[in-house]
Amino acid sequence: MKKGFSVLVILILSMFFVSAVFAGGAPRGNFKKGTINAVNAGGDTIVFIPAGSKEQMTIKIDTSVVHDEIVLNKEVMITLEDKEGAEVVTNITTMFIGLDLKKFLFILFVGFVGGLVSGFIGSGGAFVLTPGMMSLGVPAAVAVASNMCHKFPKAMVGAYKRFKYGQVDLKLGLIMAVSATVGVQQGIKVQEYIFNKWGDAGSNLYVSLAFVFILVTVGGYVFYDAWKTSKTGGEEKTSKLALMLQKIELPPMIHFKTANLRISLWFTIPVGFATGLMAATIAVGGFIGVPGMMYVIGAASLVASATELVIAFVMGFAGSIKWALSGLIDIRLTLLILAASLFGVQIGALGTTYVKDYMIKVVMGSIMLIVAVSRGLAIPKYLTDLGLITLEQGTVDIMTKASFIIMAIALLIGAVIILSSMIKGMKKEKGMKMVTSHGKI
Amino acid sequence: MAGDRRGQMKKPYLNAVILGIISIFSYMVLFSKQEIVTSITTKGGGYAALPILAAFYFSFIHGAFASNILSLLGIEAAKKKK
Repeated sequence: MKKGFSVLVILILSMFFVSAVFAGGAPRGNFKKGTINAVNAGGDTIVFIPAGSKEQMTIKIDTSVVHDEIVLNKEVMITLEDKEGAEVVTNITTMFIGLDLKKFLFILFVGFVGGLVSGFIGSGGAFVLTPGMMSLGVPAAVAVASNMCHKFPKAMVGAYKRFKYGQVDLKLGLIMAVSATVGVQQGIKVQEYIFNKWGDAGSNLYVSLAFVFILVTVGGYVFYDAWKTSKTGGEEKTSKLALMLQKIELPPMIHFKTANLRISLWFTIPVGFATGLMAATIAVGGFIGVPGMMYVIGAASLVASATELVIAFVMGFAGSIKWALSGLIDIRLTLLILAASLFGVQIGALGTTYVKDYMIKVVMGSIMLIVAVSRGLAIPKYLTDLGLITLEQGTVDIMTKASFIIMAIALLIGAVIILSSMIKGMKKEKGMKMVTSHGKI
Repeated sequence: MAGDRRGQMKKPYLNAVILGIISIFSYMVLFSKQEIVTSITTKGGGYAALPILAAFYFSFIHGAFASNILSLLGIEAAKKKK
């Protein structure tokens, strides 16, 4: 019976996994890879050869593009926008940035901190890494692709570690991952609909509004719950909603051994679906997945955050294949992030064994609320782009910069809470060991 | 738990050194041949397997190296969960 169930889960998982990879074709984006052969005499058009083709294209360039920065005969990525009925190049970036020591160290640092947070709360890091890499000059699509490709090996190592500590519920993780892949596909469809209707700015506005709404409501509740738990002795209690859902006998009922609960599959699927939907929208599915597993399904925060790593692995793997097929992964960046994040994720994972369970909620809630402020600051820019409000360019620039800095602060605060509570826990254990050994003497 | 006790008795010096050498060598190859590496891994199609395999390879080698280094530094999981 057990074997049959496992085979069935694997079959369904593989089916959804393959469809998630191939459905929808290449990742969305109005960009093209290739080389620029020449800038025409007047300076208003370029001769562009798309990658894998010998055909030359003459494309108009926008006045915002700085001519001196156009690199000839080197692989670049161009961003195209529809302006007055014709496609116009609005941005030209080198496909593969040069890596000097400063950039090298920046990527290693963010990779380490992102890994630490992921190992501890099951997700996070991506929301700083992608804009961080873009600030170094990496094209947006390459930054997203390279970041995605580092996510699945990091999650795999983190999940393995936490599995060894007995915190991962593999069955729950796989069921969540299957439903999340369906959610991702629906999320992409919603995104595409908004993109086609309101363009890039509309899409960005939707993402930011969804980000702020979810982070404030869910993050606020997670933080409130952590505060309440710390005030009542630090023992976690299963939420009333989860207890109520667990009592409803709606077949098939599934027993999750590590999570130590029994609940209908029909209450598990929507949580996974929402996780995927959010992963496709705000790129951090874990901000819904972990609270969903805690408050709807009824798993402890330790199990929920560890199980999220299994979901991150499956989804990251599917996403990476998709980006790799489009040839947009800069493997140097991926492996550089991994060099540090594989240390971070293991420290974060073992950190969970030293702290009180509710600390996972403290870190998650804090990060979510600070990121909400960051995303909130990005909204006026998109409203300006859509022509709904008028703001001076200088003000928009300051707000965009502040948004990124606050986002980085969110990650750093998370890392500081993790490390300080972990060091405290380690000292406590050392003290207890010494007392025990003295007691023996 | 048994693994933890073993780890406490015997530090994985040799593993850390071997994996460290392989990991550093792999990173050196990656960055000394970055132009070839980036052009091959971004061809798409069947070449898409290369960045995925590279990510797996580094996660096993470098991940195990990181784990051994942390053990050598005494950064290990708590023996009993709080």
